[in-house]
Order: sequence, then C-alpha cells, then structure tokens
Amino acid sequence: MAFTSLTFIAFIGAVVLLTSMLPSPGGRSAVLFGANLVFIGSYVDSVTQVAPLAAFLLMCYLIIEGVRRSRSSAALVAGLAVVIVTFIVLKKFSFLGESLVLPFPYLIAGLSYVLFRVVHLLVDAKQGELTQPIAPLHFFNYTCNFLSFTAGPIQRFQDYAANKDQRLSLDEEKVFRAFARVIMGFVKVAVVSAIFNYLFDSVSVRVLDTAATLAWPMLLGLYTTAAVCYTVYLYANFSGYMDIVIGVGALIGQELPENFNQPFRARSFLEFWQRWHMTLSEWFKTYVFNPLLKLLATHVTAPAAGPYLGVIAFFVTFLIMGVWHGTTSVFVVYGLLMGAGASINKLWQVMITKRLGKKRYKVLAEKSVVIYLARGLTLAYFALALTCLWVDMPQLLRLTRQLGIGGVAASYLGLAVAGAIAYFVWDTLASLPVRWLAGSTGGVIGRNLGLAFQILLIVTVSSFFHKAPEFVYRAF
Amino acid sequence: MKLILNQAARLLVALVALYGAALAISLVLVPRSDTGPRLDTARAASSLFLTEPKYVFMSRARLNTSADKVLLVGASNTMAGFKQRQVQALLPDLEVHNLAVGGSNITQVSQVVDLVREVQTPEARRHNIYVVGLWYGLFAADKARWYTADRHAGDTDIDIERYRYGFYRRSDAGAVPVLPPKYLDAGVLLIHPYLVLDRTARDLTLSLREFIGTKKRPITDAQRDAVVLNDADKRKYLAFWREYTGLAEMLGNAPFQALQHMVDGIVAEGGRVVLVDLPIPQWHAEGSALSADYRRRLDAMLPRLKQQPGVSVVTMDDAGASDDFSDEVHPKPRVTPRWAQRLADELAITARAAKDARSSPQLARTPS
Repeated sequence: MAFTSLTFIAFIGAVVLLTSMLPSPGGRSAVLFGANLVFIGSYVDSVTQVAPLAAFLLMCYLIIEGVRRSRSSAALVAGLAVVIVTFIVLKKFSFLGESLVLPFPYLIAGLSYVLFRVVHLLVDAKQGELTQPIAPLHFFNYTCNFLSFTAGPIQRFQDYAANKDQRLSLDEEKVFRAFARVIMGFVKVAVVSAIFNYLFDSVSVRVLDTAATLAWPMLLGLYTTAAVCYTVYLYANFSGYMDIVIGVGALIGQELPENFNQPFRARSFLEFWQRWHMTLSEWFKTYVFNPLLKLLATHVTAPAAGPYLGVIAFFVTFLIMGVWHGTTSVFVVYGLLMGAGASINKLWQVMITKRLGKKRYKVLAEKSVVIYLARGLTLAYFALALTCLWVDMPQLLRLTRQLGIGGVAASYLGLAVAGAIAYFVWDTLASLPVRWLAGSTGGVIGRNLGLAFQILLIVTVSSFFHKAPEFVYRAF
Repeated sequence: MKLILNQAARLLVALVALYGAALAISLVLVPRSDTGPRLDTARAASSLFLTEPKYVFMSRARLNTSADKVLLVGASNTMAGFKQRQVQALLPDLEVHNLAVGGSNITQVSQVVDLVREVQTPEARRHNIYVVGLWYGLFAADKARWYTADRHAGDTDIDIERYRYGFYRRSDAGAVPVLPPKYLDAGVLLIHPYLVLDRTARDLTLSLREFIGTKKRPITDAQRDAVVLNDADKRKYLAFWREYTGLAEMLGNAPFQALQHMVDGIVAEGGRVVLVDLPIPQWHAEGSALSADYRRRLDAMLPRLKQQPGVSVVTMDDAGASDDFSDEVHPKPRVTPRWAQRLADELAITARAAKDARSSPQLARTPS
C-alpha cells in the first residue's frame, strides 16, 4: 500500500474511525491488529509471501520468552546470533550468494524494523525489564504496527505497553493538531519531496550518463546539485512520512516518538544524528555504541586513551549503521563514510578541546560565522556521503574518477559555503510571520483555511507530477 | 468520533470555499482555452493544455458532431508531415482535425481513437475518416515504450492525462472513467485553476527546464529546412531508436494485431480509415533492422487491409529522399505541401465514397 495513494488515505481514515468507535484498550488493540494484517497483506499476493515474516516473528517470540525466563547471558548471545543470522538470510544480503536465498518471492519490507524491536526486547528480557510474558497479540501489534512497520519510528516496548492500556481520549485541539500534522506530512512528501525528486532525477541522469561527455565544471555543478536535491528529497520524504504516522497515531491514541528534530540545524555530524532518524540513532547508541564503549573501556584502561575510545566506538557504530542501509558493496562505502564522519568529528572535539580548553572552545563555537559554517560543513558531508544511496559501485567509482580528489573537495567546500549562506538566508526568512500556513494560528475558519490551502497545494503539485514519489526509506 | 467528523467537515467546507474562490479568480484572469473550430495538436504548446496528450484528452468533446471529419492520428511525423492548415485548405468541405501525439506507438494511437469514440454518438462516428500515419516506430512494443521509471508501469502519455486530474481511475483491467465522458467539458471547467497554474508554472520554469535538459529548445521552420545531417548525427539517431525500441531486432506481432483491431473497430461503426505508409530518410531505413522487419510485415498486411471495406492505403515510399528530412524521421517544412496534396487527393475520394455509402447503405460494403 503506497502511503501516497488514495487507498492508504482511505485505509487510515477507516482505522481512525473504527478506533474512535471502539475506544477501550481492548477495542483499540483489536482494530490495530486488523489494521496491521490488512497493511501487511497489501504488500503480498499470497500467504507464501508472508510466511517467512510470520516464521521469523514466531521464532523471535519464542527466543524472547526463553531469554526472559532464563535471563542468562548465554541464551541472550545465542538468541541474538540466531535472530541476526536469520535476518541476514531473509534480507538476501549480496555477500551470501544465491545458495542461502529462499527460492520464492516474499515480503522483505519491514524486516529491519522488526529486528530492531526484537533486539530491544531480547536485551530488556535479559535485563529483567520484562516482568510478564508478552501476549502474542501485543507482540504482533508492537513489532508489526502498521504505522511504523516500514521505517519506524522505533518505539520502546515499555512506551507501547503503557499506551495500549489507555482508553482513547481526544479533544478538539488534539484532533486539529493531528489533522494538521498529517496534512503537513503529505505536503512534505507530495510537494517538497516530489519537486526535489523531479530535479534530482533530471540532473542525476546527466551525471550518471555513461555516453555523455560533460565538461568538468559542468559535471561538478550538476553532481553537487544532484547531491543536494537528493538530500532534500530524502529528508522531506522521510520526515513527511513520520509526520503522517505520528499524526495518525495521535488520532488512534498512539504516542509515537519523534524521529526528526530539524536535522539541518545541526552544527556537527554527531549532532546531526541526534536530530535525524533519532529513534534509530538512539537504538544504535543503546545497543551498539554503549556496550562497545563499555567493552573497550574494560580492555583499555589507560586514562589517556579514554577520549579516543569514543572515536573508535563511534566509527564502528556508524559503520554498522551505514552498512545496515543496504545489502550491496556500495553500502559498505556508505558505512565507512558515516564511520569516518562520526569518528573525525569526535576526534576534532577531543583535539580542539585539548588545544583551546573547554571555555575558549565554547566561545568560539558560539560565534555566528562558526555556527553557519559548521552547519554548512555538516550538510555538505552528509549530502555527499548520501551519494552512495543513489549510485551503485561501478557508478560511484566512475564518478569519483571523473571528479578526482580536487572535484570532490571542491564540491564539498562549495556546498559547505553555499549551505552556510543558505542557512543564514533561511533563518532570516524564517523569522517572518508565515505561521498561518501551518494552520497553527487564527480561529476555526482561519486554521481550517490554512489546512485547505495545503491540501490544494498537494493536489496541485501532484497533478504536475504524474507519479507520486515512492517512500524512499522503505528500501532500507 | 464526533470530534473527528466535525474536524473533517470543517476542513471540507474550507476546501470547497477556497477552491470555489480559486476557480472564480482563475476564470476571470484567464479565460477558458479556445482551441478554435478545428483541433490541432501542433498548437497544444500555445494552448492552456500545453501538451499534445492533454490537448487531445481535454478538447475532444467538440468532435461530437455529424460533420464529415478527417482525424489525423499517429506520432510526431504524422503531425509534422500533414500540417492541419495545409490539409484543411485542400479539403474545404471536410473538418480536418489533427490528433497526432508525439512519441505514440499503436497502443496510444488506439487510445486516441477510443477517446474520440467515448465522446461521440454512433451517428457522429459514422462521419469519421481516420488517417493513421504508419512507420516502424509506431510498432514499438509497449514494454519498451511505456515501462519507464518516470511513470506507473505501462501508462501511456494518454493514460497519464486520464489519471492526472482523477477523470479516470486505475484498475487491474485498465483505466476506468470516474467522470462520465458526457460531462468532460464540465470537468475541464472545474479543473480550470489547475490548467492555469500548470501553464504558469511551466512558463516560469521553462528556462530552468531547458537548462537541465528536460525541455528541448524549439527550432523554427527555417532552421528545419536548413538542416544537413552529418554521419555522427545519423549514428546518434539510429542509436536512439535502437534504444527507444528496446534494442529489439524484430517487431512483435501484437502491435500489428492492435492496428488490425483498431481498424476493424472504426470500420464496424461506419467510419473510414486511410492508412498512410510514411517514409523515413533512406539512410535511416537502411540502417535499421526494425525498419526492414516493418517493411516485410506491412507489405504482407497492406494488401489484405486494402481489400477491407472502408479502408484505403496511401504509400509514400517515393518520398524518402534524405535531404527532405530535418532529422531521422520528420519531413522538412518545405516538403509538407506536397505531402498534404498526396493525402488530400486520397481523402477526397474516401470522403465521396463515405458519403455515397451513407446515402445508399449497400455501397458501404464495397471496397473503396
């Protein structure tokens, strides 16, 4: 079910109305269960196609229950190994070859996010945070919640459990805000991401055309433009989707966690990941970075090495997070770039603090020029690293050869400076009073006219582009 | 639930009010598109409809008359070769409408015929003479032509217009009308703000689109007449068509069956068909494997079609002089009066035969 389709809109409409007709905890769980089945069913044509997911869920459920009862470290390690290996096989990672691939088509979408939730449950089970067995209905509703099935946000089970036991309670303001959030989400997806997707498609096809012989400055300009367009497209598409699911969640009594917090305001790569796909970053921090840092700290006890352990832990964590995005070799490059970005950022923090001292570093970091430049550098690094998500390995190698180190550096620095200037202009414009567009001010009429305007904008831009953009993060 | 329904109702009222205002303002500022007494897709770019598929889709309601009509259908070489005003000038007793759409294959041409059929009464259909411009590109497989990343798999340009404003909806069996075709004009009136916005947005972004290469700069008739192709151009064009037709070495049977099906449908409703075997430059014909395959298949098919009541054929294989073409497929403007004359001669005969057949129905079964 494409989430930009009328079918999806009708589907969420039906789920919202049914939930409000059955507002008790039991009624809400039943509606959610049915909605999850329908949503997952919309991706498949036969029961066979959903069988691997069902088997994976059953296996995970049994392992979690086993770990919960035993609370043994060995059970946790074995359970994690089985779950992750099964996930790798089901995800058809390219390094596996053909031998381990199931010989029929089946549903892969959603598997990554099921895995994140399962790992979280396994660790919590081991730590004794799951005092009671999870009912199969709630395990299914938690791991396969249609709102966050394909791309998060990754909700903690404890938050889900606290939420499910409450009766649906809405008021006029809550309902309006939820409508406004959903509509804003569609604006981001169907307007902003569609426009930038169109620009990206138009420009990238020229950058990647093997028959074209573009002059170097033209290639540099087009490549940088494509990288920026893809970044904006990805952000609008993904954060728009989050707005939609969080808004719908509010209407059916689910408080889903936020996943974005103005990421392009970040002044460093590490801060960027505290604002972008926040629940994924938080998950990796909890289940990869922290245990890894702890492990390193137990083996390397020299105090001087302390700050550098973080550098290593960041590199490994971001490498894994990058590689997770795909199953082919280009995603390893992406992982390395992510790892490099995070570790260099950490290293810089360690070195500069050592050199200037905390106080002087803080003063320097608060200067406007430094802030805008830091934001520009962060955007440029992320945008260029994202190239790995829109090329394959041969294309990446060819592009790198054509641009050369000088070209990549010019693109990076040019984009950083342009970004810094753009941020300055944006901040200036953002201070202008255009809040009515978001429908957040004015009386009932004004607020609803604001929302109606946004709907017309969506319909207008959709009529320009005859194909709504896919939800890009579904692929990861 | 009451809270949610209340909010939905408020939003709906706001939406209707806002759209009503937009409609009123757009009608005051930009009058409805006047396509003139004859349709001509060559004028699409200067109309509110902008593109040829949209022009055909939106303006076809005026074809529902009992006047004798010539309807030119095909791809861009039909449009460039048979200029509406030139053919019309030679046939003052007939209405000549150009419905050719650039980039068409036979699937899309059949869709244009279906679109016309939708808005016409059975009586109006009996007054149609379809001129179908044939060449090998028209027989490109749907898989090669309409399965591209920028569209839903298999959607033709006409399909895109069907779905764009919700006049049709997608189904497993193909496009299904949401708006009954008899209300087409009312539908076009309702979407007037969008037509105005689309036109304005495209005008404003023209330079940008030309820069990023999604829109080609138009060239004048004088520039077309002056074109001299070199070998590199010819190689580029041949490579383009190989790619465009899916690197196929042979054409499939399905497009030829589709042509037969389309012709049968038109004739069964009392209409007439003139099939024009359009020329391409000699170097193109000699350099394309598909062109040779097309020639073999068409030579086998045309004699049979010629025997079919209501069908006639114009061959123009003597008009393939390379110098008469501005590129790999389109004739230079200086030769189109000659092309128009050739077609008009045949159309005059066909129109007379159609008229006679309508007045004495037994003649309808006689091959023309």
